[in-house]
Amino acid sequence: MRRTDHHRTSPRALALAAGLVTQLAAAGAYAAPPAAEALVNTKCAACHTAKGDGKWDRISDSRRTPEGWDMTVARMGFAHGVKLSHEERSAIVKYLSDAYGLSPDETVAHRYIIERQPSVVEHHDNKVIGDTCARCHSYARVAVQRRTEDDWRKLAHFHVGQFPTVEIQAGGRDRNWFELATGDAAVALGKVYGYDSASWAKWKAQKPVDMSGTWRLVGHKPGTGAYEGSATIQRTGDDRYSVAMELRYENGATESATGSSIVYTGHEWRATVQQGGRNVHQVFSLQPGGAVLTGRWFEEDNDAVGGDLKAVRAGSAATVLSVQPAMLRSGSRASVTINGTGLDGDVDLGPGVKVRRVVARSADRVTLEVDVAAGAAIGARTVSVGKAQGADALKVFKRIDYVKITPDHPMARVGGAGGSTPKVPAQLEAIAYSAGADGKTGTADDLRLGVVDASWSLANLNKAAEEMRDVEYAGRIEKNGLFVTNDAGPNPDRKYGANNVGELRVTATVKDGGRTVKATAPLIVTVQRWNDPPIR
Amino acid sequence: MKIKTTALALSASFGAALLAAYPAGALAAKDYLVTAARPNLVFVVDAKARKVVKSHTIPNTSMGNSPITLVHSRDGKTAYVIHNRWETVSGIDLESGKEVFRAELSGGDIRAKAPFAMDLSPDGKELAVFVNPTRLLPGEYQVLDPYIAVYRTDAGVDAEPARRLPVPRRVSTLAYAPKGDTLYAFSWDMLKLDPQTGAVKGKHPWRSWKNGDQGEPDTLAVWPQFEQANVFATPYYVTHADKKEGDPAALRAGIWRLDLEQDKVTFKEFENAGVVLFSSVVNPVRRDETYTVYTQLTRVNTKTGKMDRVDLDHTYYNVNVSSDGNELYIGGTQGDIAVYDSRTLKRIGNIRTPGGGDQVLTSLRIFQR
Repeated sequence: MRRTDHHRTSPRALALAAGLVTQLAAAGAYAAPPAAEALVNTKCAACHTAKGDGKWDRISDSRRTPEGWDMTVARMGFAHGVKLSHEERSAIVKYLSDAYGLSPDETVAHRYIIERQPSVVEHHDNKVIGDTCARCHSYARVAVQRRTEDDWRKLAHFHVGQFPTVEIQAGGRDRNWFELATGDAAVALGKVYGYDSASWAKWKAQKPVDMSGTWRLVGHKPGTGAYEGSATIQRTGDDRYSVAMELRYENGATESATGSSIVYTGHEWRATVQQGGRNVHQVFSLQPGGAVLTGRWFEEDNDAVGGDLKAVRAGSAATVLSVQPAMLRSGSRASVTINGTGLDGDVDLGPGVKVRRVVARSADRVTLEVDVAAGAAIGARTVSVGKAQGADALKVFKRIDYVKITPDHPMARVGGAGGSTPKVPAQLEAIAYSAGADGKTGTADDLRLGVVDASWSLANLNKAAEEMRDVEYAGRIEKNGLFVTNDAGPNPDRKYGANNVGELRVTATVKDGGRTVKATAPLIVTVQRWNDPPIR
Repeated sequence: MKIKTTALALSASFGAALLAAYPAGALAAKDYLVTAARPNLVFVVDAKARKVVKSHTIPNTSMGNSPITLVHSRDGKTAYVIHNRWETVSGIDLESGKEVFRAELSGGDIRAKAPFAMDLSPDGKELAVFVNPTRLLPGEYQVLDPYIAVYRTDAGVDAEPARRLPVPRRVSTLAYAPKGDTLYAFSWDMLKLDPQTGAVKGKHPWRSWKNGDQGEPDTLAVWPQFEQANVFATPYYVTHADKKEGDPAALRAGIWRLDLEQDKVTFKEFENAGVVLFSSVVNPVRRDETYTVYTQLTRVNTKTGKMDRVDLDHTYYNVNVSSDGNELYIGGTQGDIAVYDSRTLKRIGNIRTPGGGDQVLTSLRIFQR
């Protein structure tokens, strides 16, 4: 039923909306922006009455992320015939995001939705909102908007007017959807995600930070591993930058990334870079203070594949950002690298871990040979180099007591086969845990050690999957835990001519010395997401 | 699921064009299927011959969107179909293909859509359409109360409603009683409306249905296919509070039937919910038999609860049954209407839609002539 919701949306319109991140970051050919407020008055005020003082009917009653504003502006094009050039659209989105955006605090709990993190199982902060909105959308899509109660109510009217099946489809028909959405839900939304906030008032009063400079960065790319590197950011215009990055992975691989970015709302960094021969989008947020940038980057055509990143400005407070490897076995000798900034002074890896030799050192990086005592206590260590500190940066363990697969509930989607929608893989990782000092698993002192190598296997998840022989059709898993689906479309070889969907059980087998430790997770392989907006 | 225009499909449509008229002077009435398909087709099938005999295009429609509910006059002369992003109802003369009726639901600052519910009075003179209107104001939408628009079918191609009947939201089916004195509207409950005034004469409970420990039943009833037995039937799922969560018997599946002639409801739970059930039809001869489709074809005796089931080669949405009760016609996807024997549940034939387009969410109807 949900497919029919989008009957007014042409494929081209969807493509426009889906092309958003490129749009948001396409600063390469940056020219002087059209006077944005004048543009809003020309292009938007035909319907949205200007109220003066940079305010318009509806427009000024909500605040959104850059992606949120771009989705709305795109919809004004395909549903209401507003004609905008690429530059005009970009200028309006920038203006609205700056004037009516969200502070870093307001997005922090739900950034996964704009970062396009795969297979997130959501927590609904509010039941009425969850039951009304999150049966179709992600909860986070709602939670990265702020509106007046009246504007939330108008949004409910829009839903029924634009998508009348909302009242008939599963998830909507068990209730008086319209009455609820315009009643209790609008009231709850106005309270939980209302327009006014102290956080936004404070953020808006701050002066934007110039992001130019050198940055030290670390991160992790599932399927490849930890990396460290640096970035050079140069200002090219108002809130426009060029960026050049070097990434060095723990497996020895290196990547450089160059491209351009726009900063929205004083903190929302959106860049498109060429990285490893691919277009990669960066969705980062500059933390208050202007010295720390965090977020996720992902491949433009395959957003299930990417990595997280943390960058700190060179010359800011000394800090330890990461230790590679981050898990050390007691009674072993190991080579360890500490990544950070301002790494001057004595190295301390905590009790039971002794520096045997400093192999190399700079302000950014210290490479050591260490001995871990046989009796070293199991636990996390704060690592310090002079004034630089990294809490829980290193874990000492005796053995791997258990393993978990992440994501907990992975999902992949069939695609390709000449269709409009590419395959969506699922990148799995095996995370090792120690039971901690008490030796009991599932207690408060259990210790997450980190990502470990595993061998991967697939089986049918349940009886229905066995009957449909899902494991034979749904796809394959590669050595690095990347599950890749089979082609989309009805498969005449399958019962019911079913697509190559399936319910699988994935098992990670980890070797720990002479022992093996296993973990399993359900892996759902489902159909394409035909409408894949920037915020799902 | 790409639509391929196969040589076979093209030849079927070419063959249809050669057949200028229905076989005249046939001795016995024959069953004809009438339905729609993507992107803009209304077509007629000689059921026993498995042949498309007429294929017409719906004029002035939105080609990217498929037609939905289709209702035919009992004499098989006209089919009315909702199309054009659900904002238009057209009546197509099934002999000539001419558009003889057209009602635009939207106009001025009102955008109105007909999500599925529509029926024709038994005398063919009035068409009832459930309409969901929205006022498009500058900068915002304002959802208005829905209504049933009643049109005279002789109102031509610029039809305006003869009257508007008030009705609650979430109507998914409209069905006239065979005598024409009641218009059933399936909303939160199955309402019995006076077709002249819209006055609620009574109701069969659905949301308010009390049946032991059961919760509110759930169904998606958007497939009108009750003309053969004059029985509206829809599969439903229902929870049972006395069963623990995780107990397969906590969610059950059943068939809910309303005899439109007798104004009588019967229902039968027949299994723990385990398979998807889309739409149902009642056999006009062996009237306890109800057939339901999705990826399986399910026959349920709604008196005894006895159930038989066969797997299908792909997904089907709609099902109808021949006048002698012997053949089932199932369609909806992959440009294909399959024919099954209602006794053996064996596949005995199939019909390709003209052009190979899917029927999607339209109706599969049967008339005799």
